[in-house]
Order: sequence, then structure tokens, then C-alpha cells
Amino acid sequence: MASLTFDPVETSHRGKARKRTVTSRPGPVPRPVIAEIATTLAGLGLGVCLALAVTAESWKQLGATGGVLMFLGNLTGLAGTYLALIMVLLVSRVSVVERVLGQDKLLAFHRKLAPWPISLIVAHAILLTLAYAEVARAGVLHQIWAFIKSYPNMLTATIALVVMVAIAVTSIYSVRRRMRRERWWAIHLFMYLALALAFAHEIALGPSFVGHPLTRLVWSVVWASTAGVVLFYRFGQPLYRTLRHRLEVAEIHQEGPDTVSIICRGRNLDRLAVAGGQFFEWRFLTRGMWWQAHPFSLSARPRPPFLRLTVKGIGDYSSAVARLKPGTRVAIEGPYGSFTTHARRRPKVALIAGGVGVTAVRSLLEDLPRDCDPVVVLRASTAEELVLGPEVAELVRHRKGRVHELVGSRAEVRMDRLVELVPDLQERDVYVSGPESFVNRVVATLARLGVPEDSVHFEVYSL
Amino acid sequence: MRRVPAVMAGAVGFAGIVAMHAGSAPSILGANTPPVNSTPTTTVPAGSGPTTTTTPPPTGAARSATGTGENYGYGVLSVKVTVQGTRITDVSVASLQTAEQYSQSLAQQVIPTLKGEVLSAQSAHINGISGATYTSEAYAYSVQSALDKLGVK
Repeated sequence: MASLTFDPVETSHRGKARKRTVTSRPGPVPRPVIAEIATTLAGLGLGVCLALAVTAESWKQLGATGGVLMFLGNLTGLAGTYLALIMVLLVSRVSVVERVLGQDKLLAFHRKLAPWPISLIVAHAILLTLAYAEVARAGVLHQIWAFIKSYPNMLTATIALVVMVAIAVTSIYSVRRRMRRERWWAIHLFMYLALALAFAHEIALGPSFVGHPLTRLVWSVVWASTAGVVLFYRFGQPLYRTLRHRLEVAEIHQEGPDTVSIICRGRNLDRLAVAGGQFFEWRFLTRGMWWQAHPFSLSARPRPPFLRLTVKGIGDYSSAVARLKPGTRVAIEGPYGSFTTHARRRPKVALIAGGVGVTAVRSLLEDLPRDCDPVVVLRASTAEELVLGPEVAELVRHRKGRVHELVGSRAEVRMDRLVELVPDLQERDVYVSGPESFVNRVVATLARLGVPEDSVHFEVYSL
Repeated sequence: MRRVPAVMAGAVGFAGIVAMHAGSAPSILGANTPPVNSTPTTTVPAGSGPTTTTTPPPTGAARSATGTGENYGYGVLSVKVTVQGTRITDVSVASLQTAEQYSQSLAQQVIPTLKGEVLSAQSAHINGISGATYTSEAYAYSVQSALDKLGVK
């Protein structure tokens, strides 16, 4: 079989460069207002939860034995559970929101928010145990046992709490670092089970819910909707896309010493709406790899019936990728990512890619119009690691831009040189992609050089 | 993500729920004064039995009415009040549904004392029982609504 190429530009027999007609669908336009509505609703919901806890109280109840502890216990329970639902929604990959904010940023916020729901829920358990123990004039341990034995749904709620604490402990950076990623991930998924187990005790015992059918109904609807969102966007939509496109590995190309391109063949790829710069979560259905999904960018726009991704080798997974056999089926989730031409606000762009970050830049370039005068900076430690260089050069040449290759170790190459390479940096939209440390350094440099925050778009390659 | 609209929406949501609540339920945050006095004096005695009161012989026919079921957060309580003339002669529990066992046993403990308080006060304005505030309020409200139905006090 002749080797498949993803040449960006094809020349006609008269030697004039003619852009290949791309028959794939462009990515859907992100609508920032949807993300704003989502964050506003989230804030509204939190205010409502706090008010529910406060309005279930009276001064008399507060003054009674254990009253203040009980109030605080109810408040922390409501707020903590609400924030736990928000945590789930943040990583449920809702495409209309994800397209605007980007999965990497949603994940970063998820990690940042994490201490709050877990602390509030643990505080809730402690405060209510102390409160009930005070009212019943029992010891704490006796009260815990009384909860589990005689209160409806408290056994499942206690199990849920234990699971949540276990997940929280394993997610502490120093603990997580020592675990294998797959094991940590398997434990983390139990959060869905914990939340489901905890639901019943909220409805049965929460003072805002007992005897208040309307509040119970609203809370149940919120829960059911969250579950519905997760089922649709985490399971339903990816399953549909996988079955519709039936991707399988067609060819493997070696691009560099530890970088390979995988070309997949699939059906209905002309109907797959994806923007240049976006990525998928890839699951290769073969022994040893089927239970892991990893994010990789498309390194070119789809050429129906073919797709290409380019993977840099780090660890056993990536070496296994290089040994994939043609015909291996592939399950996908996506497309995800806000690192697209839609993020642009200005006509001119600069694209800065470190190492494997060039993959997103390469596909993004295909979506950029001819008059954007792109300046591309490719950064790599050694010359062999500059993959896809000729393709990038061709795309840039076609758009009358420039490419700069910065090769060398970190000590040799200073990113402060950016302003020399791109004198009008402040007037361009700047796209940065690559490993986390690289992106952080470049974004900090751009901030120092006075590039407005709105004009900087970045995508971090991390696990 | 810009945070200001989310914070403002939170404040709006909070205020909205508080406003909705203040308009409806009388006993919590509301302006209506509950019949239960604000200085509880009795504490929950361990295993208190029913109290008896000596009363002058009642006049007139015995009438009774059941007060509305008062939702006190941990259950729903309604009492049946029997009067002869204008004198309350008996208060009994018409229905009691509680959310969980603790509330059930607490209610069973304090209801005899509450009955005694109603009979000696001859009204729904009783002292609450410390440690059973919700139950006491519900009891008092239900007695009051039964008395209203009977047209007494």
C-alpha cells in the first residue's frame, strides 16, 4: 500500500500551489455565553443551598441544646454536597462548555476547588455527630453507632463518606505521585458511587427536605440531571461517536526518534466536526491498552476517510503505541479543546510550540486564513525532536508567514528572545502549546512583555 | 472564568429563598409569634410518665377537634383536643409520623409532659421543653388550631 501522506498543500500539474479541498466539517463555533450562563447558574445554586440551610433554622432551635452545631452541620452538608455536584459537572466534558473554556482549564479548576467539598462534608459528619451526641447526652462513638443502626440510610451515607475520604487522600499530590495512574484513576471513579450512596440520607434526614416536598423534588431533579449529564457526555456521546466512525489503525509513521504518527481509517469522517488544534481521548482496543484512554491532538485536519495523530514516546504506553498493529480498533471521546481558530480576536497570530506541542499547532494552521501572517516558533531540545517541521513550513509559507526553530537545551535558549523574533507580539493573538513547564514559562514571559491576557491561548500537555 | 456574575447570582439566589420562606412558614424566621414561650424551663426528664391534674367537674357536652398536622422538620404531628364547654379536658396524639427513630422516641418521651402543660395552662400557650423544641412548637400549634376549630380561646 502506498504510504499515506497528510501533505497540507498539493501542487497542480502546472506547478502552482493549490490548496487541497478539505471535505471534513469545521469545528462548531464555541459560544462563550453558554459558559457564562453555566457559571452564573452554579453561583445561583450555591446561594440557594446556603439559604435553604439558613431558612430551615429558627432562633429557638439555635438556642436549644446542640442547636448551633446542628445548624452548622446542616449548612456544611448542603454546601459540601452541592460543591461535589459542581465538581462532577466540571469534568463531565459537556461539549458546549468545554469548547469555550477548554478541558485543561476545567480540570485545573476541578483540582483547585477539590479541598472545599471534601472538607465541608467531613465537617458536616463531625458537627452533626457532636450535635446529636449532645442532645441525646451520649458519647461520640455511641452516637456514631446510633446513627448507623437506627437512622434510615445512614449506613450507606457512612460508606459514602469513607469512600470520599479515601479518594481525597489518594488525590493529595504526594500520595498520587507514588501511585500508578491507572490505580489512582480506578479509585477516583468511585466518587460516582459515593455520591449515589449519599443521596438517600440527604432526602430522608435533611431538615430542608423532610416535610418539604417541593424542595425534595428540586433536589432530586438536580441530582437526576447531573447523573443524566454525566451519562450523556461521558458515556453516551463517546460511544455514539466511536460506533459511528469505527476507527481502526491504518499505518504507523516514524516522525522522530521517539515520535510516531498514527493514521486511522474510519467511516463518516466527513461528518465529524472538528476544529484544528482540538484533541481526542484515544483508547486503542488491544491487550494491555484497552483500559486506558489518553489525550492526543489530531496533527492534521481529517482527510476522510483518514485521521492522523502524532504521539511522543514517554513511558511504556507510548512505546506500545508505536507497536500498534494495523486493524486495531480505536474508541474515541471528543473532540475537545478550546485551542482553535475560534479563540482568535485579532487578525494576526503567533504560534509557539514546545516539543510535541507542534501537533496542535500543525492542525491549527490549517484552519487559519491566508491573511493572518502567522509567525511560528518551534522549540525543541534537539533537532530530531522537531517533528512535522516541513509540513508546518509549507503551511506557513502558503500564508506568507515565518517559522523560527529554536533548538537547544533550556540553558542555551532563552524564551525572552521571543520579542526579538516577533517584534509586534503585543498586537497578535498568541497560541502556546507544549509540556506544562514550557507553557507556564512562555505564558509568564508573554505577560511580562505586555501581551493582553485575552490574546493568549494555551494548551497544556499533561496527564 | 469571571467570578462576579456568579457571586451576584449567588446573592440573588440566597435572597430569593429567604424572601420566599419569610412569606410562608410562620414559625421559622416569620413575624408571627409562636404560642410557645421563649424561656424553656423544663428539661427532658428520663422516662416521665403522664401527669394528672385535678380539675373542677366539666360543664356542657364534650366536643373534640383534631388540629392540623404540624410539620416540624423531623416529622408531622397532629393532636386531638377534647373540650367540655370552654374547658380543655383531654389532648391526645391523632397522628405522628417521624423521619427517624430518634424523633419518634423523643416525641413519645415529651408528649405526656406537653399534655400536662396544656391541661394546666388551659391553652396552647405553654413552655417549651428544652431539647425538644421542634416537637413542642408543633404540639402547641396543633393544639391552637384544634382550639380554633372548636371556637374556644
